[in-house]
Amino acid sequence: MNKLCSIQEAIASISDGAMIALGGNTLNRAPMEAVLEIVRQRKRHLRLVKTAGGLDVDLLSLGECLDSVDAGFISLETEYGLAQHYRKAVQAGSIKANEHACYTVISALRAAAYGIPFMPVRGLQVSDLRRVNDYFADVKDPFGGEMLAAVKALRPDVAVIHVQQADVKGNAMIEGPKYDDLLMSRAAKRVILTAETIVEDNRFSRSDAKADIPHFMVAHVVRARLGAFPGSCYGAYEPDEQTIRRYAELTDADGLRTMIGEGRKV
Amino acid sequence: MIRPCDMMTVSLARLIRDGETVFHGVSSHIPMIAVLLAKKLHAPNAVHLNIPGGVDPEEPELQAYTSAGGKLWETACAAFPLQEVFDLSMRGGLDVAFLSGVQFDQYGRVNASVIGDYHKPKVRLPGGAGSAVLIPTAKRAILWRTKHDKRTFTEKLDFVTAQGHVSDIVTPLCCFTMHEGELILKSIHPYSSLEEVAANTGFPIRYFSADFTPEPTADEMRALREIDPRDLRNLEFR
Repeated sequence: MNKLCSIQEAIASISDGAMIALGGNTLNRAPMEAVLEIVRQRKRHLRLVKTAGGLDVDLLSLGECLDSVDAGFISLETEYGLAQHYRKAVQAGSIKANEHACYTVISALRAAAYGIPFMPVRGLQVSDLRRVNDYFADVKDPFGGEMLAAVKALRPDVAVIHVQQADVKGNAMIEGPKYDDLLMSRAAKRVILTAETIVEDNRFSRSDAKADIPHFMVAHVVRARLGAFPGSCYGAYEPDEQTIRRYAELTDADGLRTMIGEGRKV
Repeated sequence: MIRPCDMMTVSLARLIRDGETVFHGVSSHIPMIAVLLAKKLHAPNAVHLNIPGGVDPEEPELQAYTSAGGKLWETACAAFPLQEVFDLSMRGGLDVAFLSGVQFDQYGRVNASVIGDYHKPKVRLPGGAGSAVLIPTAKRAILWRTKHDKRTFTEKLDFVTAQGHVSDIVTPLCCFTMHEGELILKSIHPYSSLEEVAANTGFPIRYFSADFTPEPTADEMRALREIDPRDLRNLEFR
């Protein structure tokens, strides 16, 4: 089945209020073209899931698209600093920051991928995070009696993942670090892929290097050269400082939508 | 003239022992460079683990915008992604985790989450990343912070993001170590003084014999310049 479509069509399939997981890590291979299209389409009340987010979370915050963020870390790292738009939205009370340890996001996604309601996690019991968040609880080992923390499963409605290569059916290969993307693809109900390159149909079947994400998990495939811009994409490009700084200087959703305009025509 | 970034990087590197499994995360240029320095000098068999999952990257080109980027993967010998680093720590196999935070108390507890109330924060901080599970499960959590003032080293944390196996904290002024559940001053950097450390710390300073931290050696400085020619260890001080 040919799942190739426009970014507009792919993002239009996401409902307001959906739980979405975004691939990549901080400024590395985040699905930025999809993020901008979410802002353009004025999606609302999204519940975002990510281990370590950066500009993606910051722009969705500025675009007023988010109700909550489940993540371990949100920042553009040291050179570009704090995710100020996200920080301000949380401080203003318009976004609920559901802080995790990065591992509890992973564990919550694993629970979803394994089809179970929660996952025990070691260590978290001694953190205030366990105490103040309702997605954590205590659980007793039914065999040995040890008390552990538990994290509730996070089953995203959709995972949006930017890859270097995909075929039109949705078989996809991630070059370089995969971060938590493969787990996200297994935990989510469906996957939207954006791809630097659309490869020929039999690329993976004729090669020993098989796709990381199989077609049957994927609902939409979008051709998106520079789809992680202005972040980096392994093997293709590094971040664009000027654009990142311009995003940081914006003050509201209208300014963001003016800056990103109508977007790519396909 | 010894720069704090060099003194801190060298101090962190000296804490790594040969053969240990060592992890650093995002926003962690100083520990990333410390791991590379330790491996180049006294700990060649230390195992460098990181978020992109590149085990023991060889002479990686350092990236300014990230300490979790593809360059740590490009020249690595094996793939061991973040999920597996956490799993390793959970089963007791991670020797050292490098982590930071915004507030620290005299018991080595860490706040990286909020200033003010968790649900209605005055300041929302980036979050503890892996801290809440790594500090209690890694054999040694080594902390660093490039600010040393009374708001950073404080008697009362707004929030305890993580606590557990903290062994050392390295700052621009000194090295703390944990002793029987409390931080004690281990050494004062050569350009600082006991008075300066005490004046910038929000809890009473305790120590057995607070010596000066040995200055970075010529070998250490040469290796640092080779590993980090663009001086990214100074990024947090710029």
